[in-house]
Amino acid sequence: MKLLKIQKRFLNSSCNVKNVISEASEFCEPYENIPGPKPLPLLGNSWRFLPLIGNFQIQHIDKVSINLYKKYGKIVKMQGLLGRPDMIFLFDPDEIEKVFRKEDSMPLRPSMPSLNYYKHVLRKEFFGEQGGIIAVHGINWQKFRSKVNQIMLQPKSARLYSKVISQTAEEFVQRIKQLRNQDLEMPDGFLNEIHRWSLESLARIALDIRMGCLDANPPQDTQKLIDSINTFFINVPILELKIPFWRLFNTPTFVEYINALDCIKEICLKYIKQSMDNLDWQVEENQLSVMQKVLKRHKNVKLASILALDLFLVGVDTTSNAIASILYQLAINPEKQQILHQEIDKLLPNPNSELTLENLDQMSYLKACIKETMRLYPVVIGNGRETSIDSIIGGYHVPKGVQIIFQHYVISNQDVYFKKSNQFIPERWLLNQKNHHPFASLPFGFGKRMCLGKRFAELEIQTLLAKIIRNYKIEYHRDKLDYFIHPMYTPNGPLNLKFVNKM
Amino acid sequence: MALNVLRRTSKFGRLLGFTSPAVKNNMRILSVGQPALSKKEVEVTFIKANGDEIKAKGKVGDSLLDVVVNNNLDLDGFGACEGTLTCSTCHLILSPENYNSLPNKPSEEELDMLDLAYDLCDTSRLGCQIILEDNLDGLKVKVPATVNDARS
Repeated sequence: MKLLKIQKRFLNSSCNVKNVISEASEFCEPYENIPGPKPLPLLGNSWRFLPLIGNFQIQHIDKVSINLYKKYGKIVKMQGLLGRPDMIFLFDPDEIEKVFRKEDSMPLRPSMPSLNYYKHVLRKEFFGEQGGIIAVHGINWQKFRSKVNQIMLQPKSARLYSKVISQTAEEFVQRIKQLRNQDLEMPDGFLNEIHRWSLESLARIALDIRMGCLDANPPQDTQKLIDSINTFFINVPILELKIPFWRLFNTPTFVEYINALDCIKEICLKYIKQSMDNLDWQVEENQLSVMQKVLKRHKNVKLASILALDLFLVGVDTTSNAIASILYQLAINPEKQQILHQEIDKLLPNPNSELTLENLDQMSYLKACIKETMRLYPVVIGNGRETSIDSIIGGYHVPKGVQIIFQHYVISNQDVYFKKSNQFIPERWLLNQKNHHPFASLPFGFGKRMCLGKRFAELEIQTLLAKIIRNYKIEYHRDKLDYFIHPMYTPNGPLNLKFVNKM
Repeated sequence: MALNVLRRTSKFGRLLGFTSPAVKNNMRILSVGQPALSKKEVEVTFIKANGDEIKAKGKVGDSLLDVVVNNNLDLDGFGACEGTLTCSTCHLILSPENYNSLPNKPSEEELDMLDLAYDLCDTSRLGCQIILEDNLDGLKVKVPATVNDARS
């Protein structure tokens, strides 16, 4: 009986394969026919990113993407970027949904060959087989992710950190008071101040360490760490989209990039070691930091260190730029901010009311404001998967090994998917008013490779925002800011927000 | 170099024996429910999109994802994210009676993932969030079609 079942299953699956192949040849267009900018001989399409002659600017990939969509349509092939596989840009949530649904057990997320090189070639002696989660694929990624999944993504385990997150947010709310000038405006370097909050918050969650980033005179190495993370992200697209000379020799950008990564590694390891030394093996697990939990469960120093490193690499800038963007949107949409004030003031009647998880659960307008900002300006404007088998995408045959790039930013800013898409309307995210394509805005991705830090990022953002809104009215009286990729998608210009005390 | 710093600290020296544990080449996901040694068993029937019924037993306290994993049920791609609420592959459709009788209502995280489920309906839940109880003995749940089924 069982044998019959297996046989049946085998037959079914082989039929599927046949179907797909015949479908591929009969009903879909060949790969060559996917529209897109034509590559030049030798220079491919990389020349488009060259200064003066090329019309693609890395800081404005957002606009480059919109133009590609306008010119070629919902599926665009970008071939001939030297040193990397062809890319297919998808501007269609239906097709993105299909790619996600067909995902196998080890989805390949195309990311950062330069980081891959750093982890697996240049610093192989440190990282070994266990590269961590970023820029790692296949069985090594699967093993690593599986070990940290429950600790990081299980909503209830992330909620254990609400207290430390809340304390750090409170410190930042106080810090805002010190930062204001006589007009109650923030200094030009306000974004860096938010980075400092984000780093401090992450250090508490990941290591249970107070770095002191929010002190008047923070330790020097914390600023160095922030700067290095910034350098890292700014150099990634330069190395990977422009002509990759770094593969041949050490270009200045590459040297800067490697130095930044080394610096991140050294500074983080100092704090990681401190956190390991602090670990009390008798303490109950739910009182430990993320890294200490991993260490206690898996008794593996390297695994824990590499996880912590990856968290610092991608968990600081992303969260802080999200906060910057949300605060800016609330400032330029005062009528929406007013609705948010009403929600928060009702749940936290006096300024010293303690913010509990139960309060947060009820703050649906706050969450809607966050989602709406991430729809209009997702911190990371796109995402992607590399095909592991030949597939049909958008009616075309796409061979194995092609990078499918999901153009979330372009999609979520179209009226077809969100009415009045250029307006900030948090209401569209409220439960009874939701009616959009579920795959049209996915700031954290979806599926097995969804952002590992999602729960923490959300909790951090919600907590800080609730506290800021409880204490201040946010205004903005300067010139309107454009957004640019630097390295996250963020308002371009000094964020001179005005923080007015609430009565 | 940096690991050497760690290696030198006596406190962790003894730990280093564990630094490369023999990782089982096991791709099956682990049960995420509470350990249940002598708990009561209940029977669950999974009805596949093609009408096939699969009966399986689970312990009180297990999630429906645990039941699928522990019994090695033939449901392709079910529970891809190991019950961490980042996918919707363990999507199940319940009868209205069962749906309403469940004590825990879907959390916000579950609702967010259900939005992304294929073939979503009013009585949809994620299997990883349904915890078995005595009164659920004989529970029948529908396993909706997936995109992959729809294509073949």
